Amino acid sequence: MLNISIFNIACTIINLLILYFVVKKFLFGRIDEILEKRREEVDSATKAADIALEEAKSTKREYERKISQAEEEKETILADIKKQGYDEYEKIVLDARKKGERIITEARHNAEAEAEKAREEYAGQLKDMVIDAASKIAATKHSAEDDSQLYDKFISEAGAHNG
Amino acid sequence: MKEMLNELLMEDKTLIHVPFGNGFFDIYKSVVVSWIVLAFLIVLILVMTGNLKVHNISKRQAALETAVLWLRGVAVGMLGEEAKEYSTYIITVLVFIACSNMVGLFGFTPPTMDLNVTIALSLMSIILVQVAGIARKGPKGWLKSFGQPMAAIAFMNVLELGIRPLSLCMRLFGNILGATVIMELLKHVVPVILPAALSVYFDIFDGCIQAYVFVFLTSLYIKEAVE
Repeated sequence: MLNISIFNIACTIINLLILYFVVKKFLFGRIDEILEKRREEVDSATKAADIALEEAKSTKREYERKISQAEEEKETILADIKKQGYDEYEKIVLDARKKGERIITEARHNAEAEAEKAREEYAGQLKDMVIDAASKIAATKHSAEDDSQLYDKFISEAGAHNG
Repeated sequence: MKEMLNELLMEDKTLIHVPFGNGFFDIYKSVVVSWIVLAFLIVLILVMTGNLKVHNISKRQAALETAVLWLRGVAVGMLGEEAKEYSTYIITVLVFIACSNMVGLFGFTPPTMDLNVTIALSLMSIILVQVAGIARKGPKGWLKSFGQPMAAIAFMNVLELGIRPLSLCMRLFGNILGATVIMELLKHVVPVILPAALSVYFDIFDGCIQAYVFVFLTSLYIKEAVE
């Protein structure tokens, strides 16, 4: 146990170097490779998730922008339509008023004409009746009583014609 | 007692006799046993690291990854962040010494009970320490570091170059030899049961402790050299 042999020391050193090589190359080499791969995968997954999140955010922003735009558009369209509707309404009302006025004017005119006609007719009848009554009075003998009777008849006939 | 020590210390260690070179190329038992340890470790590493996957890892791989990362954590913890590139060597030595100390369980003589193996280990350690120092500080800085913290103790620092590997190699050798001697004595006194119980201490616990002490001191020296 105590004698020292350079050759055996060298052998042990070579043994150690071989073991060191195997540990470095196979044990740590392979395991580090696996760990590195795993880390890369995690990194890339994280990156992909970040990108997806960013995309989602920008899409959301886009949508919000579009929605606000649509809201604005809706407002303008509604305002337009309302304005149009008011214009239309105004026009219709104006038309209707004009038409009504015309109708009223016409009606008034017609009524006046009608009334004129009726008055003329009535005047004609009254004239006839006066003539008739005068001729009757002139033709018949009469008393005061007859006269008053005649007047009553005349008045009631005139009232009936006039009514 | 004396015969036993004689038997342990003075036995003919030659296992493979090479006919030329006047015994210079004779290969000792310790080297052959360390070949067995080496073969076992290499096969274990190759089997364990075969078919490693990134996903859906087997329990075997999970255990291996945990063990390797734990070992590296221990080594880097001892070495410090600045010298962590030497952790692979530290782990190699740790595993090698621990396994060598434990082959007593399988009836082999531990290779670390041979002075030649411990000399080789401590030589490697002191060379690595100096290489780490040179790599970090450059040849000039390395030479200057002998004069620190003051030039007066440069002699002591140079002396340490010899003392450190000597203490490393003798500590390991002596501890394993001592454990083996005690085990042999115990086997003479109580042939059954007690040796089995104490073998757990001397072969497994002491073996691991000595391996740890060896690499701990080596990493301490490396850490000091790169500061």
